[in-house]
This record gives sequence, structure tokens and C-alpha cells, in this order.
Amino acid sequence: MSASAVAHTEGLGHVGGVALAICGRGMRRIRARPTLIMPVLLMPLIFVISFTGAFGSLTRVEGYGTDNVFNWMAVYAALQGAVFAGVGGASATAEDLENGFFDRLLLTPGSRVPILVGTMAYSALRSTIPTTGVLFVSVLGGLSLAGGPLALLTVYVATAGMAAVFCLVGLAVVYRFRTMRSMILIQVFGFSSMFLSTGQVPIHFMNGWLHAVARVNPITNVLRFARQGFLGDLTWAMTWPGLVALGGMSLVSGTLAVWQLRRLAA
Amino acid sequence: MSGSIEPGSGGDVVIEATDLARTFGEVVAVDGIDLSVTRGEVFGFLGPNGAGKSTTIRMLTTLLRPTGGSARIDDHDVVGSAAAVRRIIGVALQDSSIDPLMTGNELMRLQAVLHGIPRSEARRRCPELLARVGLTGAADRRVATYSGGMRRRLDLALSLVHEPGILFLDEPSAGLDPTSRLALWEEVRRLNRELGTTVFLTTQYLEEADELASRIAIIDRGRLVREGSPEALKATVGSPTLRVDVDPVFFETTRRVLADFGPDRPAREGRVSIGLDGGAARVAEVVRALDDAGVPVTHLELDAPSLDDVFADATGRRLEGADE
Repeated sequence: MSASAVAHTEGLGHVGGVALAICGRGMRRIRARPTLIMPVLLMPLIFVISFTGAFGSLTRVEGYGTDNVFNWMAVYAALQGAVFAGVGGASATAEDLENGFFDRLLLTPGSRVPILVGTMAYSALRSTIPTTGVLFVSVLGGLSLAGGPLALLTVYVATAGMAAVFCLVGLAVVYRFRTMRSMILIQVFGFSSMFLSTGQVPIHFMNGWLHAVARVNPITNVLRFARQGFLGDLTWAMTWPGLVALGGMSLVSGTLAVWQLRRLAA
Repeated sequence: MSGSIEPGSGGDVVIEATDLARTFGEVVAVDGIDLSVTRGEVFGFLGPNGAGKSTTIRMLTTLLRPTGGSARIDDHDVVGSAAAVRRIIGVALQDSSIDPLMTGNELMRLQAVLHGIPRSEARRRCPELLARVGLTGAADRRVATYSGGMRRRLDLALSLVHEPGILFLDEPSAGLDPTSRLALWEEVRRLNRELGTTVFLTTQYLEEADELASRIAIIDRGRLVREGSPEALKATVGSPTLRVDVDPVFFETTRRVLADFGPDRPAREGRVSIGLDGGAARVAEVVRALDDAGVPVTHLELDAPSLDDVFADATGRRLEGADE
């Protein structure tokens, strides 16, 4: 047991080390099998191309704040990709649970929370791939950076945050049900949440319950935050509600995920 | 009977379970077992599929919380001091639990991080362990390209990365070909001999338990039914087992004839088994008796008592085929 004398399984060093290792493992898996990222990349690309093609004239209607549909749809497609990336991170954990690899992770002598943090970081990191793809296609379509280069930063922050949130929600479900099949619940939840926001149309175009739901849906604030730089200048008034929404969703989903992780061995 | 197991050699106890139990809803997987394993032992936990072996090992390794009783590993409670337990144990679980998309080296490094091994130490230790299990040449290959035997050996190397004093092996040679199985057994023996590692292994293979374990506990339907050294257990069965295969038409006649030579023992379909009182010296007498009764024997064998006989003696069923 000489290892006991040299092993460091407590403290921030271990937490960071494990989280980084888990995140790195996910990225290495993508390098080993690039097809793992293809759905996450292709889905939002198809989304942005089909939506901008089908609804190209939509932004001629007053109220969108832009005359180029890419300025409106690019962020929506990127966030859809981020949701997909987040759910994918949780799916990888579901696979680990089903094939037994997760037991190896659970046998770490330190806290198990870094396993969750690493998976979340992996999801956030992999979300940059579809985000970059969507932005590239959108630039070709005439995306304007009205808010300057910071507009791009807000999209990356928003998509990484959304990927982290939906990864945490997915992990809470996966830790509870321990099967890949449970991921269907998260996909339905993820896409419903996006559709019930201002993803496709401005909030004042909506009526009745749809308007009410979109108004309280925190994703609406995230969309406003990420979209502002393509519609005009960046403002703090549009920024802070988005950051608060991301922080709040992360806190709630993170608490749920940690709770379920702790129950996992019971 | 739940069976109470005392330490084999009188050394210090490193694995101890008291009335350990686990239920899943209405299903009782482990039904209040007591066991003790002393430092340096190779302890075999033998039983058919579904007997409760894996559930027990998962509780002892902190992966599953007991619903009753308690267990301590080197004096650390598996529930109250789970992190301390995980620090001193190595675990190679069933189904290998190895990511096929990673290389052997990548998995070793990940395992070292999980156990808090400093990078410089991991750089020294990981190649050593891979060499020890004969995987140096395959270290940079993806696990997907490994054979079953290579995966199990990698699993063993992974479980040793933090140099644990106690090693849990869940069905270590399940699904391996005979050559790989022998290589794995030799490595387990070497670990025990050279490093004094305590090994707790579950198996459904009689030969594996017989070859590796200095002490064996037999579990069936969540309860311990026998415990002791392989030799001592076999000695309890007494006389050797005579197995006679006959055409089903002569089955009852054969049973009647053989009843005069010893007690009936569980056997697979189409076979009659008895414990032959008097041993090999009476085989000729048995053959004559069957011949006089007009029974054409298709196969006859006499075996020294085996662990299967011990299992049969304890449960009324054969371990081989007990899953059915």
C-alpha cells in the first residue's frame, strides 16, 4: 500500500485533475471516432440551412430587428446544437453506466463530483464544434457582427453554458435511471424548451400561453444575450439576464445531478 | 443456514462482513452473510450465476450500499469510510469495464489520475504494470483491438496502479480461452506470492477456485453454505463419486442397483451418481451388479471428491448446470 503515502485524493488539485482527465477522455474518444461528433455538428448545420432557406423572407416583417435571417437564426441553431452536445455528454455517461466503465470512475477514492464536473466540461467544450460550424455557415450567409467580435464571444459563452446545463439535466436523469433509453426524456425536454422560447420568432409575435411560457422561459434570456451582437450593439441590460439565466439553470440542474450522483451507490 | 466464516490462518483480518445483506425490492440477493479474510490470503467466493457473488463484491468495494449488516475493509467501514476503503483496494470487475476507444496507456493514465497518483510516479508505474501483464507492445493500441485475455490483463494492471494491498477480482477469467486463463492465474499467484496482496476473487469455475484459493466460501441463493480450504471441503464429502450413464429405459433399475453401494448424489439428467462406499476397490463389484441386472452401461467414471461434489452436498444441486 505504498501508494497511500504518495496519492493525493483530496483538495482542489485532485478535483481539477479528475475533471480534466474525464473531459480529456471525452475529447480523445471524439478523436478516436469522429463519427461521435457528426450528429452534434450536422443537426444544427441542417437546422440553420433549412430554416434560413425556408424562412428567408421572415425578417422582412418588422420586429425582428434585422433584415438578414441568419442574424436571427444562427444563434437559435447554435443553441440547438449546444443542447444536443450537452445531451450527448450525458449519453456518454449512460453508455458508461451500461457497460460498466462508470464503476471504474466511481471507485476513485476522492470526491465523485469531479466526474460530473469533467463530463459537464466535456459537453461545454464539444459544443464549440457545432457552434463554430453554424457560425461559419452563417458568415457565408451574410451574418453581420453588428456588436463587434464580442458578439462571437457571447455565442460561445451561451452555447457552452447551455451544453453544460443540458448535460447536467441529462446526468440527473441518467444517474437516476442508469440506461441509455432514459435519454429520450432529455431530448424531448431539450427540444421542447427551445421551441417554447423566442428561438424562431420575437416574443411580441406570440399569443396566449405560448407568449406566457416564452416570457418566463430562461432560454429566452439566453437567446437575447447571445443574439444581441448580431442585431446591434452589446448592452449590459441584455447581457446580465442571460448570464443569470445560465447561472440559475446551472445551479438547479447541477444540484439535481449531484443529488442523483450521491444516490447512485445506494 | 447463513454460514459463519472464521479467518483461515489466524492472521489479521482485512475483509470482514457481519450479517451482510442486500435486497432489491422483494428480491433477496445476499441474505446475511458473515465472512472474514486474513491478510495475504487468496479467498475464493464460489457460486453459480445469480448466487449473490457480484452483489457481495459490489458491497465490499463500496459500489453498492448494504441494506443490512456491515462490512469492514482493513478496519474501514464500507459505508462510513467508503473513500478510505477505495484508497486501499484494487478492483477488477466483471465485464472488464474498459473503454474500447481508449488505448491501454490512456486508460492507465486515467486510472492514475483517479487515484491521485502524481504524474511523475504514474510515468514510472504505468509502463511497469503494463510490462508486468505483458502488454507493453500493445500499450498504444486501442482496447477495441485487444483480445479478451489482453483486456482482462489490462483490467488487472489498472486495478494495481495505486498498489493496493487488497485486490477484488470479479470472475477474472470469465470468457477466457484456456491459455489466457492460465496466464491470468499465474499473475494472480505472483501478486499474492511476491507482494503479499490479499486477493478476494469470485468465480463460478470450480477449477479456478481449486487452483487459486487457499480458502473457499460457497454461496448459493444469497447464503453461505460451506467454507474451508479446498482440501478440507473435499474431505467432508467423503467417498469418491461414481457416475454411471445409462439409457433412460434403465434409469430406475440403475438407481436401485447402485443404492446398495452408497448414497445418491445429485447428477445431471441421464446420469446416476453415488458416493461409492469403499472407493475404487468396489468398482468391479458395481459393474457385475449392473450386468446381473441387465443394465447396459454407456459410460462409467469414478472421481475423487471435487468442489462440485461439495456444492452438491451442500445444496442438493450441481454447480455445473446450476444456472438452469
